[in-house]
Amino acid sequence: MDLLALQAGDWQFILSNWQYLLLGTAVTVLLTASSLALGFLAGFPAGAVEVYGQGRLRAAVSTAGVVLRGTPIVVLMVLFYYGLPTPRLGTLPVIDVRLQAFFAATLALGFRSAAYQAQVFRGAIQSLGEGQMEAARSVGMTQRQAIRHVIFPQAVRRSIPGFQNEFTIVLKDTSVAFAIGLAELLTRAENLYLQPGQSTAVMEVIIAISAVYFVLTFATNRTLDHLEESYAIPGGNE
Amino acid sequence: MSLLRVEDVDKSYGDERVLRDVSFEMERQDVEVIVGPSGSGKSTMLRCVNRLTEIDDGAIYLDGEEIHGLDENALRRRVGMVFQDFNLFAHRTARGNVTLGLEEVLGLSKEKARVTADDYLDRVGLADQAESYPAELSGGQQQRVGIARALAMEPELLLFDEPTSALDPELIGEVLEVMRDLAEEGMTMLCVTHEMGFARSAASTLTFLDDGRVVERGPPEQLFDDPENERTSAFLGDLTDVR
Repeated sequence: MDLLALQAGDWQFILSNWQYLLLGTAVTVLLTASSLALGFLAGFPAGAVEVYGQGRLRAAVSTAGVVLRGTPIVVLMVLFYYGLPTPRLGTLPVIDVRLQAFFAATLALGFRSAAYQAQVFRGAIQSLGEGQMEAARSVGMTQRQAIRHVIFPQAVRRSIPGFQNEFTIVLKDTSVAFAIGLAELLTRAENLYLQPGQSTAVMEVIIAISAVYFVLTFATNRTLDHLEESYAIPGGNE
Repeated sequence: MSLLRVEDVDKSYGDERVLRDVSFEMERQDVEVIVGPSGSGKSTMLRCVNRLTEIDDGAIYLDGEEIHGLDENALRRRVGMVFQDFNLFAHRTARGNVTLGLEEVLGLSKEKARVTADDYLDRVGLADQAESYPAELSGGQQQRVGIARALAMEPELLLFDEPTSALDPELIGEVLEVMRDLAEEGMTMLCVTHEMGFARSAASTLTFLDDGRVVERGPPEQLFDDPENERTSAFLGDLTDVR
């Protein structure tokens, strides 16, 4: 791309299409949120199983993790999109999202994120030491009670830094949903500059959406920093 | 009937035999102290009693019931444990450490658990630290919270696994004082410790464990002053010299 393309005139193009890009941003945020939520709900138990589980369950969980971490995200997404016998779902108005694509993208990003989040949690749980579990068991708590009331609240706090990485990765990888035609930010960006006569605006559009990704990443990371501080255990971790 | 009866217990970790034919009995209100060199199997013995560690062979009876026939959580409600490294729940206040078991295991209401917890914290001299988090407390205070946590469950037997070994010397006294008070109040206690002063003055029975075997067992005066076994006198003599 020629630097000459960066002319003032093409920035006007972004401004006049800001609503169109904003809707794409909304889809990106929704997809990030649903994927991270799925990743958390599946990832924490998976991490706990890797530490405390036994036998087949543990083997199954760690194998699933290896497969998910070892498969390119585009492949997962296409696989979930074309491979799952999902019923024909409608299209959401306003943000113009085909639900089938959205669900496939959520499953792909969510399960892959679960595989990575499981490792974050596994590490956090192991960093607590066995004493916490033993102390909980020694007053008569079941393993499940101990995980819920003693291990989970501490492990989640220690997982925040790792989770920040994971958030950043998932946010940026929502752009891969472009491969299954989901109208998220990157897809919409491309729709813009592929219009006849707008090919001179490619750089401007890309720079504009990069800024959006950056702002989202930065703002969320700062929020998580604050969360980490305000939920820090008084006196610090031992 | 004795409260605790340990019968011919064997335990190995791989090829290493940690406990060999260990047997002893405790009556209610007994304070049994186990001493011995490190690696002699003392802590393992203790952990077998609440099944944090499972035995390979033998039997352990609590009030006449074989503990492996009991639900492990039910057993642990009846047998409390105090750890060398305190193992306080780091994310909960001193009070929160005590209330968790009361609420989740005994099913007390929040309010009842709070009152009970404060009562036990008071008993270990920490009424004013109920809101403090473990990391804000000294080691001695943390261990006293650990004792309150175990005590609040109203166990029939309390296990102490080297409760003062991780403490700075000046903090040992406050923990031993709480343990002495408990002994005087009639708490049944099984203690692994290196505190020979406590062993001598508070124990109703002293057991010397070496290489996974009970070498000698009897009243503390006998083991300290007139031991039958050479190894006992060598071990206790060495320690006494150091003091």
